[in-house]
Amino acid sequence: MLQYVIKRILVTIPVLIGVTFIIFTMMYFTPGDPARLILGDTATEEEVTELREEMGLNDPFLKRYVNYLKDLSRGDLGESYTTGLPVTDEIKARLPVTFRLAVLSCLFAIIIGIPVGIISAVRQYSWLDNITMLAALMGITIPSFWLALMLVLVFSVRLGLLPASGLYGPIYYVMPVISISAVSVATITRMTRSSMLEVIRQDYIRTARAKGQTEIKIIFKHALKNALIPIITVIGIQFASGLSGAVVNEQVFALPGIGKMMVDAIKARNYPVVQGGVLVIAIMFSVLNLVIDLAYAFVDPRIKTQYSRKKEKKGSETVRSEG
Amino acid sequence: MMKKNEQNEPLLSVRDLTIHYITDDGVVRAVNGISFDLNHGETMGLVGETGAGKTTAALGLMQLVPDPPGKIVSGSVKFAGKELIGLGKLRMRLFRGKEMSMIFQDPMTALNPVITVGEQVAEVIRIHNKVSVKEAVKQAAEMLETVGISSERMGDYPHQFSGGMKQRVVIAIALACNPHLIIADEPTTALDVTIQAQVLELMNRLQEKYNTAMLLITHDLGVVAEICDKVAIMYAGQIVESGSLEDIYEDTRHPYTKGLFGSLPRLSSKLHRLSPIYGLMPDPTDLPKGCSFAPRCPNRCKACEERMPENHEVSPGHFVRCVLYDADRQ
Repeated sequence: MLQYVIKRILVTIPVLIGVTFIIFTMMYFTPGDPARLILGDTATEEEVTELREEMGLNDPFLKRYVNYLKDLSRGDLGESYTTGLPVTDEIKARLPVTFRLAVLSCLFAIIIGIPVGIISAVRQYSWLDNITMLAALMGITIPSFWLALMLVLVFSVRLGLLPASGLYGPIYYVMPVISISAVSVATITRMTRSSMLEVIRQDYIRTARAKGQTEIKIIFKHALKNALIPIITVIGIQFASGLSGAVVNEQVFALPGIGKMMVDAIKARNYPVVQGGVLVIAIMFSVLNLVIDLAYAFVDPRIKTQYSRKKEKKGSETVRSEG
Repeated sequence: MMKKNEQNEPLLSVRDLTIHYITDDGVVRAVNGISFDLNHGETMGLVGETGAGKTTAALGLMQLVPDPPGKIVSGSVKFAGKELIGLGKLRMRLFRGKEMSMIFQDPMTALNPVITVGEQVAEVIRIHNKVSVKEAVKQAAEMLETVGISSERMGDYPHQFSGGMKQRVVIAIALACNPHLIIADEPTTALDVTIQAQVLELMNRLQEKYNTAMLLITHDLGVVAEICDKVAIMYAGQIVESGSLEDIYEDTRHPYTKGLFGSLPRLSSKLHRLSPIYGLMPDPTDLPKGCSFAPRCPNRCKACEERMPENHEVSPGHFVRCVLYDADRQ
């Protein structure tokens, strides 16, 4: 198991290098001159050229990229063009907001999605199921920025119940979390329903009934654990999309997270900040993928066996295997 | 639950059990009024080809027919004198696993893949007996040892066992609460021949040890001859012939049963070709008006297609549902 984790972490490194290359190249080809943007329209051509030379912007592409990687290996993401602060500090200040939003949205989606999905599956084709599926369809199809704007319109402008922007307390999280998680709630509900529907038709559920087990325990003990694998996959994807969905929603609600930082940085051609932000999100994606893969092993013993790859084959059926 | 004065009446008494599957494409008449009795410690073979309604009948006894689309339309199932049909879900639950339990056809899918086998055996003990977790685990270990699985393997998951071993676990689950009746639905079909013999031998031994009655569903007449006391031959949802093992094997009456025996290769006689039953079983959504075997029957006459044959007792305990014996009487 440990071997597997180490292997997975090592595989992540080339992926992240690839990410830096792609984002670096994209920023390189983006039109606009950061030196000009920093100095403003009033600066002379000489001043701009001087700054470009100072920032190393005149160096060839590969040299710049290698320099960037060198700095990166020392944990230096460069300095923000606009504030002059190290990018790592900027990210450190912004990351908790985005992370908290993503975690809260994901938890909210799990707490609502899984139970509703189970009820929907157990009462398939009931009015409850039909209403749930209609709501889930809406949740998936409504764009989250539109939902965010509508929430602001209703709860802030009309009813005045919730604050429209900023982040000064728990109540400020309510609307962002709802608009980020709407898609996740719907997706997790649908996946839970279909996965449960498949599992409750399995023979081992019939075996559990033949034992005289109660329906509640059949659902939670026998069915849910088997149905969980595809649900976990979807939770992982939704958490990741919660992170990236934050880019739009942080903008709408003016929240000081990574998403807003990156949008502002792109507008200002603030390359180091954009690169740093993308890299951080890429690392989070990779870690998340690893966590999801490990979670499978805890849910399904068959996957665990695969991971641990027993060194000695079982000699006979009766020899106990070390799990 | 069982009292001395009930010893005279059969453990299981099924009368006119009828089970239909109601689907969009029509009503599938899977079981059409079957009746039989089973006494304590007795083994009855329920024989028929695929689609004859054997499994549905078995699930009907346990009231595990998937509903929807399945429905127990009518009939009565008396277990130790107690009517089970219409008993209600909660009360029926107490019978399952405790008084009657079931061994399923495919051990590969009958066990929950994410729960250890020890836990799966202990579970049924915990449901029906008020014992501590520790005690249940201890009993489960004993039960696994009884079926020939080392108790050291309690913590293993089903995927770590072979097919034959899994079926032993299924048997351990079925026997864990000492039920009075075991319904074994083709318990050896998914296993290879050498393992089949082992599993049958095990079931037979345990059945004798605990004096359990067994309803063995199979299409293997060889297995029936080995371990059954009584036989019922099922065709298109009806029992066409039933009686003691000798009645069926020595004094075969129904043309379908004769056809089944004709399809069996025998070592003793030099046959170049088997004599199969021609044709296929009728579509259960559209059963013929008369005898459902008539379209394939070599002895059919006009009467076969006109009316449903009655059940005749040709010798004590030997019943045949065929028009031929109507004529005998007249």
